[in-house]
Amino acid sequence: MFIQQLINGLTLGSIYALIALGYTMVYGVLLMINFAHSEIFMIGAYIGLWALTAIPAFASFTITGFIITFLVVLLFSGLLAVSVEKLAYKPLRQAPRLSPLISAIGVSIVLQNLIMLFVSNQSMPLPEFKTTRYQIFSAEVDTLQIFIFCFSIALMLLLNLFISKTKFGKAMRATAHSHSVSQLMGINSSSMIAMVFFIGGALGGIAGMLNGMYYGSIKYNMGFFPGIKAFTAAVLGGIGNVKGAMLGGFLLGLIETFSAGYISSQNKDVITFCVLILMLVFKPTGILGENVTEKV
Amino acid sequence: MYKLISVLFLGLILIAGCAKQDKNVIKVALAGPLTGDIAAMGQGMKKAIEIAVEEANQSGVLKDKKFQAVIFDDRADPKEAVSVANQIVSDPQIYGIVGHLNSGCSIPASQIYAKYNLVIITPASTNPKLTQQGLKNVFRVCTTDDVQGSAAANYVIDKLKIKNVSIIHDKTPYGQGIAENFKATFENRKDKVLSYDGINTGDKDFKALLTKIKTFKPQLIYFGGVYSEYGLLSKQAKELGLNAVFFSDDGSSSPEYIKIAGSASEGNYVSMIGIPPAKLKKAKAFLDTFASKYPGTDLQPYDTYTYETSKILIDAIVKTNMDKSKIADYLATVKFDGILGITSFDANGDTLNKSISIYKAKNGKFEYCE
Repeated sequence: MFIQQLINGLTLGSIYALIALGYTMVYGVLLMINFAHSEIFMIGAYIGLWALTAIPAFASFTITGFIITFLVVLLFSGLLAVSVEKLAYKPLRQAPRLSPLISAIGVSIVLQNLIMLFVSNQSMPLPEFKTTRYQIFSAEVDTLQIFIFCFSIALMLLLNLFISKTKFGKAMRATAHSHSVSQLMGINSSSMIAMVFFIGGALGGIAGMLNGMYYGSIKYNMGFFPGIKAFTAAVLGGIGNVKGAMLGGFLLGLIETFSAGYISSQNKDVITFCVLILMLVFKPTGILGENVTEKV
Repeated sequence: MYKLISVLFLGLILIAGCAKQDKNVIKVALAGPLTGDIAAMGQGMKKAIEIAVEEANQSGVLKDKKFQAVIFDDRADPKEAVSVANQIVSDPQIYGIVGHLNSGCSIPASQIYAKYNLVIITPASTNPKLTQQGLKNVFRVCTTDDVQGSAAANYVIDKLKIKNVSIIHDKTPYGQGIAENFKATFENRKDKVLSYDGINTGDKDFKALLTKIKTFKPQLIYFGGVYSEYGLLSKQAKELGLNAVFFSDDGSSSPEYIKIAGSASEGNYVSMIGIPPAKLKKAKAFLDTFASKYPGTDLQPYDTYTYETSKILIDAIVKTNMDKSKIADYLATVKFDGILGITSFDANGDTLNKSISIYKAKNGKFEYCE
């Protein structure tokens, strides 16, 4: 049972971690909580469903069809996040800090209602994927779970490389450190912010697609709970810190799964949030929060 | 120019406002979840009351007056239900309420209606507590959880020959109530309940709990709750290699369940209050109207009940000659001959016409078992 719970927790955690990255990167650069991120996650799943069903060539689940579907999701959800930034946050850059936050909540409500009114207010099933199940020490694991875990890890490693090794990553870190000084050094902070939103949105959209594949159906309000949980994960790991978000995501998935499996399934959220409160009492910055110089 | 437009606009609002105060309109309210997780059922209820009202108007029972259905969305949320109830009682033209769907909504809302002597007849709230509040204005056309939970338990023991079960509920008054009732009946007959757990509505991942349940090796898992979680539970159990049969209640008996669970729904059971619409001889006319008016739309579980409830309310309004204060007394003694058979109410306001049927999911459809 332990290994099975570990697998359950890691799958759940990898989705949380992918969403948490979007929250934490935006916070790192703008010191703002992007509440519309959970809606990017939801719309990512809808784009994925659309790509899988609308384009007949993809429906056969060939490897290329799959890759193209993911690229479509990545591109469109990234672009959506960027346009949300341009429309709803950029005009408020000089406004008090509360204004973009409220704007974000507004965007979230608008996006959710758009899907509800113009797509469907019911759950929509995704095509069922043929998976093979393996037994590891009496625990069941299927190809989809392995895929979700490996794919998320790969994306996170890529992101880490991008931030620490490339010139763009360096520029992003500089922007996070100080907008005005980085601008004096010739960095276009506006386009860096757009890039942060693109990457965060793309990862969120992919997380939505993975979530939809894993649970088999998607719905206009599917973003709410994972969004809250991923935000918690970002805080747990230290908001503003990319590695912290990854760690926080996996940790939260595991805490949730183990408290549901071993203590009480009806109180698992209580336990999870108690852990968060304890964490914030003893280390308000989160697990990896002190790492201020590498905020993005 | 802008002034002119705004004056015109104001005028329009005033005209619309006046139209609302038309004295020749008798309003009946429907309150239920039109948006949110279980919107499918609420939307079905809306269609049903609209058909009933249209038929009443066509038959001309009110001569110069007309019935009108007014629809309120409680989003399956008790807080929202209370605010909807306050809206309803502030409209003097509303003569009674059909709804709400969720017991958690009906119970607090019914107390508000009681203050204003408005009758509420619920076609769908099955928690016994609703009619045990000592309120004279509350009636119920559907069978209660205590009947449904024990009927399910008896079926599981007698027909499916199952010796041990695990029980899951969704912590709502409805889901937990029905699960507790199932548990009590099952334990009374000396069979084993291996585990009893709650889950959160709106959650998507139940694998942790199912992994724990798998170690108990239950033959059957009973779930008290609604279809969104029931679907995910059935699906995730199959993915974990947990081969127990699933059994749930009327809240889960929606075609949506099969959509969510996919092939994992095969062979799982639900119980449903009443007799299936297709087996009711008198319901044929309603089913035909429904099918011709909403082609391609599945009949949701409470549609026939909502239709019947609307008919009962309309009949009571007509028979009492539109006297709000007499409707509750009239209903207490009514013998209504409708599509569900004869409906009359006991001292609490519960229907005496109680029946339960069991369905099994087969080839992507619910099949009637008994």
